[in-house]
Amino acid sequence: MQWMICNMKKWYYIVIGLFLQMLVVNGLAQNPKVEALKVEYITQKLNLNDAESKSFWPLYNDFLDKEKAIRKNYRQAMNNLPADFSEERAKEIINLEIQTRQAELDLEKLFNEKLKAIIGVKKLAMLKQAEFEFKRKVLEAVNNK
Amino acid sequence: MSAYLKYRLLFRPLFSLGLLFFYVSSTAQIAYDSLKVKTPKHFFQTAIVWDAFSKPKQALSDTDAISKRLKNYGVKQYNLSFYTPIATINNFNRDSTINDNTHYLLTGNFMLLQPQFDGLQQHQLTKIGLGFRLIHNTGKKGLFFAEFSPFVTSDNTLKGANYWRLASTLLYSHLFSERFNLRVGVTKSFLWGNRLYMPFFGIRIGKLDGVNFSFQFPRNINFQVPVSSKVKLNAFARPQGGMFLFSNVDSVYFGRTDRQFHFTRYEVLVGFRLDVAVSNLFSFYVAGGVSGRNNITLYSERANAKYKRLPLRKTFYEQNIGSTGFLNVGLVLKFGNSKSIGKNYNLYEAIDLNNGIDPGDNNLILPNSEIRKANLKTNQLKLKDIQDLIDFNE
Repeated sequence: MQWMICNMKKWYYIVIGLFLQMLVVNGLAQNPKVEALKVEYITQKLNLNDAESKSFWPLYNDFLDKEKAIRKNYRQAMNNLPADFSEERAKEIINLEIQTRQAELDLEKLFNEKLKAIIGVKKLAMLKQAEFEFKRKVLEAVNNK
Repeated sequence: MSAYLKYRLLFRPLFSLGLLFFYVSSTAQIAYDSLKVKTPKHFFQTAIVWDAFSKPKQALSDTDAISKRLKNYGVKQYNLSFYTPIATINNFNRDSTINDNTHYLLTGNFMLLQPQFDGLQQHQLTKIGLGFRLIHNTGKKGLFFAEFSPFVTSDNTLKGANYWRLASTLLYSHLFSERFNLRVGVTKSFLWGNRLYMPFFGIRIGKLDGVNFSFQFPRNINFQVPVSSKVKLNAFARPQGGMFLFSNVDSVYFGRTDRQFHFTRYEVLVGFRLDVAVSNLFSFYVAGGVSGRNNITLYSERANAKYKRLPLRKTFYEQNIGSTGFLNVGLVLKFGNSKSIGKNYNLYEAIDLNNGIDPGDNNLILPNSEIRKANLKTNQLKLKDIQDLIDFNE
């Protein structure tokens, strides 16, 4: 520890320098999360009672995280696809697309069953409607820009 | 019963049922598992906090020898601290109605305190600590919080000498509703310039992402008003202080008979603070106000130990100093992705606890930048923001 105290000023400036660099690289580049808007929108539309809300949100958040991860995985694969890809790579991409669709569907089926037990089938349908409406609103907003 | 009949009546239906069950349960996961996608592991992000605090020098008006020697007193203080999640255990019960989780976090703190005594050479007092905290969300209405923060204090004018201490907090937080929370527990803290074992009692009225009033004894009283989704205004009162090793290089204590003694300080800060969450990864705060009830003491544990009747904390110098202004700024940088917590009020509470009890017992109140109302305008949206929201083939 003594060495740290002796070189305190130097260490201090190094840490501050790194901090400021990270601040510029990471901090300012981030945009606000649109998921928060989605959550607000669903809250308004679903009108869940306290007991439903307590069970619904942890499960739904878990579903959102997994769904997002599936989409990110596919998006990254497509973004990393070179212009002149091999036939083998093409087969992999086709497989990945099918797998991704299947995974999304499986995930939705699994969570639908769980959510149905918590909020009932009617509110589950309302959730689907709210998700659909929100997606449309967001796409319209981006389209109108 | 013949073996064939047994097979027809018993084994085959059971086998078919088992096969069907295996098919249904496995197809629900098989495609997802085969993708090997990465989801965030923790509900907490890693945070690094840089905090600077300053208040001007004030003359020590007493006529005793030590006051004359010290001349005046001011403070410059810098803090660099972090917390990072190391493990999260997340469980849903069988019908998915209860989600309990346990969070293990590593915390660390480096503090540099420069007491401004014009009569002495510049002492740079340091406090370095590494701690561990555990937060358990019962999934119902309760949260358990435990923190152990050992730290060591030293003075740069006395090489090789240091003094170990341990700060800790144990508490239970009960969320009666999203608008009302109660906390009870115990804390061992040095904030009030002494090693004190105190009860912890906290109450919050109002939503965490809205206007709220929070009273957390012995740490702070805070009234928060969100100005926008990114800016929060706080009116607060909180103590600040500690116990530090202090070298006797200036012969403040009985000539040069003792190499070191202890310097303690506390003050109560009352003021306003502006929290600005620039993004999910970066926020800063600026605070200013009045520092009152300033108290400093000097005591020598070694000298007191020689006299059995004397308490170890018997001071040879104590001074109450008048009020003055102060300025405090801080930067909070967060890293990594965390699991979604939208409308999960127990986790909001866990995050508030984690930010409200700072690493290292310095009573810095870190802004809850993760908890804020979403009133983002749709015309601010960019394709990058929504790409994970829409279907990949839309």
